[in-house]
Amino acid sequence: MTNTVTWARVKSPWVLHFNSGACNGCDIEIVALLTPKYDVERFGVKLEPSPRHADVLLVTGCVTQQCAERLKRVYDQMPQPKFVVAIGACACSGGVFQGNYNVVGGVDKVIPVTAYIPGCPPRPEAILDGVVKLLNALNPPKPKKLSKQEKQAEALKTEQAKQAVAAPEVVVASQVVKSVIEEVKPIVKQ
Amino acid sequence: MIDIWLILRILIFPGFAFILLLTLFCDWIERKLEARIQNRVGPLVAGPAGLFQPLADFIKLLTKEDIEPRDAKKTVFKFAPLVAFTIMVFAICFLPIDGASVLSTGGFSGDLIVILTFSTVASFLLFLSGWASANPYGTISSARVLTQFLGYDIPLFLIALTPAFIVGSLSIFNIASGFTLASGQLVPIILLAPWAFVLFIITMQAELEKDPFDVPDAESELVGGVCTEFTGAKLAFLHLTRDVQIVFGSALVVELFLGGPYGPVFFGVPAFWYSLWFVLKLLAVVIITEYITTLFARLRIDQVLTANWKILLPAAILSLMLTVILVHWVYPLV
Amino acid sequence: MSNNNIDIVKVIQSKLGDKVQIQLGQLGTAAINVSNGLHREVLKAMLEADEKTGLTAISGVDLGTTLGVLYHVHTSNAFVTIRAEVPKDNPKIQTIVDLIPGAAFHEYEVSDLLGVIFVGNELKGHLVLSENWPEGIYPLRKDVKATEVKLSPAPEEEKAPDIGKLVKIIIGPQHPALLEPEKFAVTVDGEIVTKVEPRIGYVHRGIEKASESRTYVQDVYLVERICGICNACHAYGFVAAVEKILKTQVPERAKYLRVVTLELNRLHSHLLTLGHAGLEIGYETLFQYFWRDREPIMDLIELTSGNRVYASLMTIGGVRRDIKDVDVPKIKTTLEDLRKKIPFYRQVYENEPSIKARMRNVGRLSREDAIKLCVVGPVARGSGYDIDVRKDDPYEAYGEIPFNKIVYKEGDTWARMNVRMDEVEESINIIQYALDHMPKGPFRIDVPRNVIAGESISRNEAPRGELFYYVKSNGTANPERVKVRTPTFANIPSFLQTAIGENIADVPPNFVSLDPCFSCTDR
Repeated sequence: MTNTVTWARVKSPWVLHFNSGACNGCDIEIVALLTPKYDVERFGVKLEPSPRHADVLLVTGCVTQQCAERLKRVYDQMPQPKFVVAIGACACSGGVFQGNYNVVGGVDKVIPVTAYIPGCPPRPEAILDGVVKLLNALNPPKPKKLSKQEKQAEALKTEQAKQAVAAPEVVVASQVVKSVIEEVKPIVKQ
Repeated sequence: MIDIWLILRILIFPGFAFILLLTLFCDWIERKLEARIQNRVGPLVAGPAGLFQPLADFIKLLTKEDIEPRDAKKTVFKFAPLVAFTIMVFAICFLPIDGASVLSTGGFSGDLIVILTFSTVASFLLFLSGWASANPYGTISSARVLTQFLGYDIPLFLIALTPAFIVGSLSIFNIASGFTLASGQLVPIILLAPWAFVLFIITMQAELEKDPFDVPDAESELVGGVCTEFTGAKLAFLHLTRDVQIVFGSALVVELFLGGPYGPVFFGVPAFWYSLWFVLKLLAVVIITEYITTLFARLRIDQVLTANWKILLPAAILSLMLTVILVHWVYPLV
Repeated sequence: MSNNNIDIVKVIQSKLGDKVQIQLGQLGTAAINVSNGLHREVLKAMLEADEKTGLTAISGVDLGTTLGVLYHVHTSNAFVTIRAEVPKDNPKIQTIVDLIPGAAFHEYEVSDLLGVIFVGNELKGHLVLSENWPEGIYPLRKDVKATEVKLSPAPEEEKAPDIGKLVKIIIGPQHPALLEPEKFAVTVDGEIVTKVEPRIGYVHRGIEKASESRTYVQDVYLVERICGICNACHAYGFVAAVEKILKTQVPERAKYLRVVTLELNRLHSHLLTLGHAGLEIGYETLFQYFWRDREPIMDLIELTSGNRVYASLMTIGGVRRDIKDVDVPKIKTTLEDLRKKIPFYRQVYENEPSIKARMRNVGRLSREDAIKLCVVGPVARGSGYDIDVRKDDPYEAYGEIPFNKIVYKEGDTWARMNVRMDEVEESINIIQYALDHMPKGPFRIDVPRNVIAGESISRNEAPRGELFYYVKSNGTANPERVKVRTPTFANIPSFLQTAIGENIADVPPNFVSLDPCFSCTDR
């Protein structure tokens, strides 16, 4: 049952686009996704008008002071399960406008972000790639069925790892102390 | 005594499951056609050629969190989508699909009026759901829904009476069989009253709220229209109601004008061939309405109302008068 | 009727020559230093002499102990700057809104960012600053540091008082129709709009202040990102103003290359708007077709510059990259393919009944209103007001390239869209002419890093209208003041007027027809 639900969620992500103070570069690349050359409807992505209908929030723009409150409100209006994708250098960190007086800088200072797509602006192919990667991340990879020999090899590896963890602690600590002493010596000599 | 056969007919074929699958299939056809006209590809990844896309949409919506606004009218908000969907499916159950309707009766005189009334009630429930969701966009949009479907119901009834007049009966089964010519041959009504067919398609376009009569769903002014505040399962059923309305409207066109499920039977069971003809004719009508949708822009609400009261209603009355004249004086001679 | 032979400087000299100081050749045709309210007299004289007088921008400058208020006024054949000063402790100056109604927004902005009080047109609240901005702190003043402002908590949003049967619809920051956030509170009576109240400032990133702490070269990339759609024009405006201060002579080849870049920018922007208009009226098919035909232009921009949206070709002293001769045939064939598609779109606009039903007689702006509100670009040219900086005040190679000015008289949405469609064809002609007549030679020269003290202006015709830059330098590697007046900022007041009395359903197509770009407006 959960497989069907996950399949449905991966095949039908409905998107809401919110501009929180962007220069429009990323926004026109997002709208270009709907056009014949890139056609994101192949993946079942639909651009929805209302926050209540959407699963994925695409945020562009360095968040301005005026938009921060509205962004939070739009995020709260979306029903679970929901994901946030920060598109563009400005949404990831504030971009070119970091440090300006009206800029919060970065979407993750206001709402939790699931995926970051850098670029100024990212090409539509890059945005598509990011969205598809997000969808694939929703589908956890199925554990591979191991043969008997592979299972034995796995067990041996885990045993060795357990032993190795205990031993080098002391060695590593002494090595660290040695390297620190080496570094400090020339400074002290000066 | 429980009739297993009847229960199977209601639940599976040609009842609930068949109607549901047909609805999802018509949704896929519409999306693909719209995409191809716009030089795109449309859904591709969900299933072969994107066939399972509407199903994926439906399942995903069912599993979303259900948010109820604090100020919404609780009972209407909770139940309107589901009741609207049920009424529409019930209305389709009266139409002959495989030679007999789902309830496997031979229909009764006046069932045309009954199912048109059902469709009106379902549209009214859509209006109620927009009005009950305490949202300004929902309120304005529901007011437009009400104005539009109440206005267009009148020409709809009048034009739907045209085939009834020609055949001389209000039973859908009789209308679907067609008109018996003096030579004994049965012809579908479209050949006898093609003007009514065109007018009915236009009126149906307005009833189903598709472009150019897309006003209540106008994204650019009214965000989400009637279903702005709905999420989760309720949204799933609202979307499904819209799609079932399209199937119902197209099925009505098929029954009234295109001769219903009747067509040449080549071999084997007639019920199979009747269902096949029904589905093919239905798809043809869906394709015609979708073409009209993609080729036009959206009209303003006052232009929609002008089109109704000043153009469509007089045309419907004229069509009825013309039909009455033809039936009394011309057709008996043919 | 344009009085192309009026010498406006002589008019001012004759009327007020003894009371004002006229500096020819500065900041346009002439800079006029006035004091104490005489700016109104100068403006009155200009309005009486030339009916096509309009306000381009009002720049506020922090001069230390005083605040400078510069009125940049354009007439039919000249560009004059009126310089006034107010003391910082009493920054009051008379408003000019009664003379030129289009000045309202400009005055609000100077009040908001610098604290100048325009007596008769005071600003209540904030225009571009956010609602949690503390009172009394004006960002563009030199003593305010960007990172040290403490924001006050946002005030409670008052519930709008019940106004009877009038309903207030908020076309709000998140809206499917708008690519950008801004709020319009539209009051409707049934279906008819009675009032439109805008709230801009959602995209205000403080670029003018930021430009003062970056070098000139960094600023080229910063001002380019004011708007992603008309980015080449912003970069050009800044670069041209700096080059005027430095008095550099840009090589001829660079001038033609700049023309090609600017016209490619115009092409992609107009196709974007034409498609977006289709989306607004519910015509998705037209939207998809226009954007499908826009993609080859994006490929051309990528071919000439390396990036799809931000060409970043402008630099102080020329252009960054040359167009190779092997690329020219590809550019020409792509443009020819686009030219062949234009008749199809023309006949759609001529014959399609649903487009005509939604766009004809919607958003009517008369020629008189257009002049009074100082609108620019296709909005002005669609109402019969024929201003085009490429023809009125030629820059770069535009003086040598023949092309037509597109003017329509109807003044409604349909006319404005047709202006843009015809300009697409004109741009194709300009680019092909420029490619055919491209002179040989270098495409850039070196300029000093420190720019000598001075000030200058530059105007160019962005896709949306006249884009105006005022740059003041102080001898260091950072500019002293950069003022940008974008075309949408000048056009918004016209929307507030044309929407009244029409259907609420007409608001989206009307709005899109003025091609709003709020990232330009808010900066």
